[in-house]
Amino acid sequence: MGQFILNRILSGIIVIFGISVFSFLLIHFIPGDPVKIMLGQNATPEAIKQLNENLGLDKPLLVQYTTYITNVLQGDFGTSLKTGRPVITEILDRFPETVKLAAAGIFIAIVIGITLGIIAARFKSSFIDSGVMMLATLGVSIPSFWLAILLIMVFSVKFTWFPIAEGTGLRDLVLPAVTIGVLASTMISRLTRNGMVETLSNDFIRTARAKGLEERIILFRHALRNVLIPVVTLIGLQMAALLGGTVIIEQVFNWPGLGTLAIGAISSRDFPLIQGTVLFMGVVYVMINILIDVIYGIIDPRIDLSAKEAR
Amino acid sequence: MTNSRCTKFFALLMVLLMAMFVSVGCSSEKESSGEAKKTDNTSNSDNTSGNTPQKGGTLTIGYAEEPDSLDVQKTGMMIGSIVGSNFGGSLISMHPKTKEFVPNLAESFDISDDGLTLTFKIRPNITFSDGTPLTAKNYKETFDRALDPATGATIIPGQFKQVKEILAPDDSTLIIKLNEPSAPFLVNLSDPGYMQPLSLAAIKKEGDNYGRNPVGVGPFKFKEWKTGQSITLERNNDFKWPAPFFKNQGSAYPDQLVYKFIKDYQTMIAALDSGSIDVAYGIAGKDVDRYENNNKYQVFEMDRQGIGLFLEMNTENEALKDKIVRQAVNTAINKEAIVQAVLNGKGRVAHGPIPASFFGYDPDVEKYDYKYNIDKAIKLLESDGWSKNDKGIMEKDGKELSFNLMILDRWNQPSQMVQAMLKDIGISIKIQALEAGALIEKAASGDFDMTFMGYFGVDPDSLYTFLHSSQINVMNHSRVNNPELDSLLDKGRKTIDLEERKKVYFEAQKLIVDEAYWVPIYSEKQYHVANKRVHGITQAFNGLLFQDSWVSK
Repeated sequence: MGQFILNRILSGIIVIFGISVFSFLLIHFIPGDPVKIMLGQNATPEAIKQLNENLGLDKPLLVQYTTYITNVLQGDFGTSLKTGRPVITEILDRFPETVKLAAAGIFIAIVIGITLGIIAARFKSSFIDSGVMMLATLGVSIPSFWLAILLIMVFSVKFTWFPIAEGTGLRDLVLPAVTIGVLASTMISRLTRNGMVETLSNDFIRTARAKGLEERIILFRHALRNVLIPVVTLIGLQMAALLGGTVIIEQVFNWPGLGTLAIGAISSRDFPLIQGTVLFMGVVYVMINILIDVIYGIIDPRIDLSAKEAR
Repeated sequence: MTNSRCTKFFALLMVLLMAMFVSVGCSSEKESSGEAKKTDNTSNSDNTSGNTPQKGGTLTIGYAEEPDSLDVQKTGMMIGSIVGSNFGGSLISMHPKTKEFVPNLAESFDISDDGLTLTFKIRPNITFSDGTPLTAKNYKETFDRALDPATGATIIPGQFKQVKEILAPDDSTLIIKLNEPSAPFLVNLSDPGYMQPLSLAAIKKEGDNYGRNPVGVGPFKFKEWKTGQSITLERNNDFKWPAPFFKNQGSAYPDQLVYKFIKDYQTMIAALDSGSIDVAYGIAGKDVDRYENNNKYQVFEMDRQGIGLFLEMNTENEALKDKIVRQAVNTAINKEAIVQAVLNGKGRVAHGPIPASFFGYDPDVEKYDYKYNIDKAIKLLESDGWSKNDKGIMEKDGKELSFNLMILDRWNQPSQMVQAMLKDIGISIKIQALEAGALIEKAASGDFDMTFMGYFGVDPDSLYTFLHSSQINVMNHSRVNNPELDSLLDKGRKTIDLEERKKVYFEAQKLIVDEAYWVPIYSEKQYHVANKRVHGITQAFNGLLFQDSWVSK
């Protein structure tokens, strides 16, 4: 197990290295002189030279990258061109809000998704089943901004139950979290249902039923545990994606998370901030993935992680 | 069987969703009473007559952009100055109605006859919110800081180019000496955001953090900045030095002023509708009718300060070098149709390079500008030796009149209209949508045929930036190099006598229109919408003022 985790971390580091190279090169992909674009047309030649030196753009690429990565390792992601504050401060200001939103959204997704999945499986081929699966299809096809705007129009504007763009308190959290939850639940419910249907047709379930066990115990104790593995993977992946900032949902609900930070950075051509957020999101994504692999082993002891790796 | 159930279920769901939409739609209809359209162009809009102002409450303002910094000298964003104006003030202010300059933080001011020496007497007993008294020396230090290259100030160095020296012979006297008379200087000086006095003690104390914890002399003081969300200011109870044109000569009424940053326009509208914000800046013309017809809201309408859309032609282009071609392009564009289609009619046709709302606008331009006339445009080209080839495009010596037109995404609709209009006279246009930075860079280096552009300003001196030969490779995208125009634009800067200055710009306008460097298209109207729970908003030429404002609870 220890060996496996080590391997996963090592491969994670390689991926992160790749991301760092990519985010570093980002600034060099810009057509034209990035410094001129950053400073605008009225920039004096001195200012251009100054920024070129500050960003180290006058040095060879390899030297630039080494400096960049050394600084990053020391926690220095550079300085935001717009606000003049350290990039890491800007990111850490926003990250907790994104975590809050992602956690609340995933929580709602799990509750809705697993509940609906179990119900659909329990009443397989009935109208309840097709209804739930219809909902899931609908959920996958609804664009997130559409659902977001619909919820705002109904619950903020018409009924004024939940505020819009007021802050990041519990009441503010409800609508964006429900939007994320509803959309993310669709995949979960589908996966849960299919897994359950498959598991429920197994011999051991038939045995359990024959023993006269309560349906509740069969569903939750015997069947659900077997279904959880792919579901947890999915949830993990969704969580990782959400932690990168749900750009559209954050934008529509004016949620001050990483997504809106990234959008703002792009629209104000704040390159150090763009680089920083890309790298940060990448690291988070990789770390969550490693975490999921570890959780596997805990949920299902049958998975011998080191053995799988050795194969 | 399952299928038909699904279909039924789906149909039911759609009906439910539609019902939801209809009910939402209805509610906003219901609210609109038959109250007469109220578009307040005058200054004070107290809607509940007989109500006396109440202290307390929070006034919340929605704005699309978040400032970079509240160090007003370092901010490069308009919103930095707008928020800053609430904790700042200016030596002089422009009266919102008469547009005359009145003393504000200065109790009096004097301009020497040659226009070179400006003397201000600082009003006594003004203090910064940290308790430091305001003196002429503060002001001198403030401006010195802005002019020190190490500060990296954004706006003041450009606006103070003509300043020779700044003196503070005693605590109450501030003297600004200019190298040459400058008419726009007073306008610039009246900005309570950028031009406010700063407490050097506070700047020193806060260091790098000053931009997020500023100190000023205004009616509000800085309280909190929630990154990505809002800036909260609280009332400065010691404040008793507002500009003389306000009714309220004491401290502000609301306890707090909150600027909320809402980037998404639809969210801004929803926040206004749900009452999360009281005032929304920058509501589009297409949405304004809904608020005008709703007695819960008040609408403030103002002309854009500048030309919102004009077409620049590169005078170094082989074909566009020819004035007659440029005039034909001007004659072929139906500006009225563009205003109707793009702005829903909420804007004015731009006849010349200066908008009607500016000083120095010559109404005669409406007579001598190019009237939309396809036949005339075609004749112009034909008289110049152009003739339509078999593709229907004007051609001369084997060269076709076909151009690239650079646009930003938001100018998609007008660009297609211009494309169709120019096609009618045999000019072929290829539209090229670019990202703003790339467009500006290409425009500045002259790497284009035609480009759309817009500008904000307060004074006709803006033309200097766009058309003076010294600005080639910067903002003079059309690469105009016309000594006669140069001398007019120089003269306009230095002439203090208003009547004479006006004449200079009249002449410049005529010349620019005749040379047809641009096709000025429109100046759109701009709208700010406020909930009627906010009373006493003053409309100034470039924004809203809240000194007389109070909120009902």
